[in-house]
Amino acid sequence: MHTAPRTVTMKSVDMDLKPFMNLMVVLIPMLLLSAEFSRVTVIDLKLPPDRGSTPSRLQKTPFSSPATDKLNLTALITDSTVTLGAKGGFLPTVRYREYHRYTARDDHNSFTVEYHPGSTVTHPASGRTMSDQERQDILLYTCDDKGALEHRLYTPYGELVTDTEGNALAAVARGDSVYALSFPRRLIVVTDPQEYDLRPMSVYDALHNRLMKIKERYQDASDRDAIIIAAENSVVYDKIIQLMDTARKAQFPEISISKVRS
Amino acid sequence: MKTPHGRSAVQRCAVPLQVTSMMDMFTIILVFLLKSFSAEGSILTNADNLALPNSDSMKKPIAVNLQIAVTNDMVLVDNLPLLPTADIKKMSPDESNPVIPKLYDKLHTCLKLEEEMVKSGALNATDRKVVIQIDKNMEFDVLYKVMNTCGTAGYTAMNFAVMQREE
Repeated sequence: MHTAPRTVTMKSVDMDLKPFMNLMVVLIPMLLLSAEFSRVTVIDLKLPPDRGSTPSRLQKTPFSSPATDKLNLTALITDSTVTLGAKGGFLPTVRYREYHRYTARDDHNSFTVEYHPGSTVTHPASGRTMSDQERQDILLYTCDDKGALEHRLYTPYGELVTDTEGNALAAVARGDSVYALSFPRRLIVVTDPQEYDLRPMSVYDALHNRLMKIKERYQDASDRDAIIIAAENSVVYDKIIQLMDTARKAQFPEISISKVRS
Repeated sequence: MKTPHGRSAVQRCAVPLQVTSMMDMFTIILVFLLKSFSAEGSILTNADNLALPNSDSMKKPIAVNLQIAVTNDMVLVDNLPLLPTADIKKMSPDESNPVIPKLYDKLHTCLKLEEEMVKSGALNATDRKVVIQIDKNMEFDVLYKVMNTCGTAGYTAMNFAVMQREE
């Protein structure tokens, strides 16, 4: 059969993306259904079986036998101080000032104010009283006896900078060897002092630092992983959880809870 | 556009749907959703008015356990309201061994039930585990009374439910 000579024309043909689109349309709803945007996790309280949780039994052990190899590490938290105790003695008390970060529900405005017991917090723009539910974070900053905030250096990753002895630093120079507070401590040689951020030292970082020192010194204690968190009645639950996080970061995963008698 | 003859030229040509940009968007959404994908779903449920504290904990709850939720106004056991939180706050804070009677009775019944199930072979063992969800603005006093009640009732393995901090 004879056919007429055809002219060959170049035509650009788009890739047929329809099947892929179909796939996407199915996949996205499926993934949306099984997506988790806020993850609920749990914190284990590792109560030793012999101790249980009854306070009468809890009260017997602390500080009674300093001669044994027991560490008996205790973190006491009150409304304005945190104290660490171990081996029957106490480290100097860390005093703190409390700041609350709020995010308003109506206009999503975020602001931080210092907290004074009994005071109410108002929205800076509308003057509305803020509810506890809008409080996002409780920030605790260390201060000295006169109430002045203590500023220390932080790395760009938000880790506290300490010297070889584990003291938090307020200034560094080029060429200094410093440690970043992580587990284990990370050695840094300062190349640019400008990249370190001087800001109020968080109580949790100060405690983390002290706990790490205790952990390093008392490696052979029989209860080297255990810590008792003791709190006053009025301490907010959020602070206790943050304290537990700090303890776990400093490798004290066996957390018990106790109460400070007033 | 006007032709010299004064009539507008109708261009008859099918314009293909431009899907490339849409595909880009879909790909990004897909990656984002895959990141937050969880095959297990969430075991813990929490009430609307319950704000859990943020924590670095990465431990996911594995099994379904007894749940105690303490919100600002009610205490719930396994999502059923049991008593008002104000009742707990009213109790004397200085008692050395505070036990919340209603909660104790409820927990005791639950433990009995679990033991019955072990006897009949429905459960392997009572793990005496309880997940405590407390509002992050609650005082320590309430937490202490609830924990002490759990311990006295025989639930010695306690877990605190927290919100995982976003990286």
